[in-house]
Amino acid sequence: MSQITLLSSDNVEMKVDKEVAERSILIKNMLEDVGETPDQAIPIPNVNEGVLRKVIEWCEHHRNDPPPPADEDSDSRKKSTDIEEWDQKFMQVDQEMLFEIILAANYLDIKPLLDVGCKTVANMIKGKSPEEIRKTFNIQNDFTPEEEDQIRRENEWAEDR
Amino acid sequence: MTSPRIQTARDPTRYDYSSSTGSPERNVQDELENDFFQQSANDSSTSIVDDGKETEDEELKQFEDMKVSPTAYLPPELLFAIFGRLASPQDLQSCVFVCKSWARCAVELLWIRPYISKFKSLESLAKTIQMEQPSFPYASLIKRLNLTTLTETLNDGTVLPLAACNRLERLTLTNCVQVTDTSIMRVLENNPKLLALDLSGLVDVTDLSMNVIAQNCKRLQGLNITECKKTTDASMVAVAAHCTHLKRLKLNECDQITNESVMAFTKYCPNLLELDLHKVNKITNQAVLDIFWKLSHLRELRLGHCDLLTDAAFTGIPNRPVEHIVEIAPRLRNLVLAKCRLITDRAVAAITKLTKNLHYLHLGHCTQLTDQAIAQLIRTCNRIRYIDLACCQRLTDRSITQLATLPKLRRIGLVKCSNITDRSLMALVHSSRAHPCALERVHLSYCTNLTVDGIHELINSCTKLTHLSLTGVVCFLRKDLTRFCRPPPNEFNEHQRAVFCVFSGPGVAKLRNHLNHLSHTNGTLAPDQAYYDDREEQDTGLVDEEDDEDEEEEIQEE
Repeated sequence: MSQITLLSSDNVEMKVDKEVAERSILIKNMLEDVGETPDQAIPIPNVNEGVLRKVIEWCEHHRNDPPPPADEDSDSRKKSTDIEEWDQKFMQVDQEMLFEIILAANYLDIKPLLDVGCKTVANMIKGKSPEEIRKTFNIQNDFTPEEEDQIRRENEWAEDR
Repeated sequence: MTSPRIQTARDPTRYDYSSSTGSPERNVQDELENDFFQQSANDSSTSIVDDGKETEDEELKQFEDMKVSPTAYLPPELLFAIFGRLASPQDLQSCVFVCKSWARCAVELLWIRPYISKFKSLESLAKTIQMEQPSFPYASLIKRLNLTTLTETLNDGTVLPLAACNRLERLTLTNCVQVTDTSIMRVLENNPKLLALDLSGLVDVTDLSMNVIAQNCKRLQGLNITECKKTTDASMVAVAAHCTHLKRLKLNECDQITNESVMAFTKYCPNLLELDLHKVNKITNQAVLDIFWKLSHLRELRLGHCDLLTDAAFTGIPNRPVEHIVEIAPRLRNLVLAKCRLITDRAVAAITKLTKNLHYLHLGHCTQLTDQAIAQLIRTCNRIRYIDLACCQRLTDRSITQLATLPKLRRIGLVKCSNITDRSLMALVHSSRAHPCALERVHLSYCTNLTVDGIHELINSCTKLTHLSLTGVVCFLRKDLTRFCRPPPNEFNEHQRAVFCVFSGPGVAKLRNHLNHLSHTNGTLAPDQAYYDDREEQDTGLVDEEDDEDEEEEIQEE
């Protein structure tokens, strides 16, 4: 099994199986462009060591996953927020890490990981009031009272249930 | 994914989308990390959000105000991806109210396909899209609108405000019977991007609306005007000439429409995949031949009740014969010829040239068909999954024996094929030894020769069965069996209820278990004594009566 070396944004080298690293479409394409296994470490400038280790852990666990179904836009898949048990545990991290993983998955183009990350955040939003959501994610309400009043009236119809 | 660009009416800069795309910049990331580092000891629940509580330590408060939410650095496309997971409009609505950057993303998802189930909600939505200075250009965000949940309560007054929308791609108004040209025309005039329009059941819509479609909605790919009976060739020829991208067209029951329209569609819309002409009963062989000659992509063709059609529609006319239907309509899979009463075995012989492409065939009420047609059909079209032969009363067990050999047959409709006997059932049972029985839905109502024993064997060998109808089969009108039936439809009268006998879903399994129990414990399928005791004398003399309504239900359900 050939291995490659990745270099995190904070200059830490990590050896991984090529097959594992290729869960990232970005890395996979890069390796294909190069044509052979590179001697030098591949720099991953947007991802620090801690996050990169986490991402590699996920790729290790999912190294043998079958490719996702072709009909990616199917509504049922998109709307579902079911997450398999291992992934749920994997995502039990603090919020900063959770969002860093999402950003890294997006940058490295690892769709199934991005998917799990988005589902995890969606599950944190579900059923909450705007105020509860702000508290959960530490978000400042930047609407003026007038703006908030207007936007509430404009979107009132969605309370339909 | 590119983030959609939106201009707001009030202040284009305030909700500008152009910032913060792509990955966060490096120095911002550093700042963020520093902030987190400094804040890591704090519980987020004690922080800034303006819940009105005064933080005692003023210094700490200032400090916390600087703290940035980890969500702040998500580019809009990732916020979209997250919000896209929220199925409920209420959750999306909550996201809209959180803060400005969330609002920008969430409104799009909330409005792209507004879910409206109450009249009051539609009124509220209509008010918003008519505002002069909305926070967002809501009217332009709506792309799909389905108002079928409101049907009768909708009228022109409530539909008219929707003319504010100008980017509709799909509009569905099925059965909104009070809606007329008055509002439809205005909505259509403003929505040149429409791809799919469903006006089925809008009985008052006329050529006026259809002409607006022709002039304005040139991208249209799907049009359903089922039951818009006021429409005529005058407008439909124009629709055909201008909406040349049409792929799905349903003109069911528009009985003023003639060959002229149909032939215009075949001329201008070569991409048609699906064409429904149920009860467009003025059309003749000429139109059908034209369909076969010109629509080489056609997959589904429904000609039910087109009772002027004869065999020549399928075999060709002397100077233009249809020699190989499969060469000219190679993709035709689904064909409905129910109640085309004039067609005979010769038409079926022509259809057999579709060979393995044919998956779905409805020949109900084609009463002239004989066993010979079915034998010929099965010989070449061995991938049929769905076949309906209701009321083909000349068919005998020989036909069913042939049908039983179809390996993929999932649904078989034999309502009122009154000649068939248990021998047909045995053929279905035996074929299940050659290949696993795929049958899911079996319609045997009014096949009065069948016995409980025969059905018992059938349901034991067809393990996938989810629907079995035996209405009017006298031996099944037994209390111990009918208790597993589903309730008859509300509109049925007393007589229809008395003979109704349809097992579906778990009812099939319960019937199977009960029959197995009887045969194990009693060695016979006769009802237990308890059922004899209170059996009512109502189950005779009813089966011979025609029961058109029930039969329709049998035939039309899928």
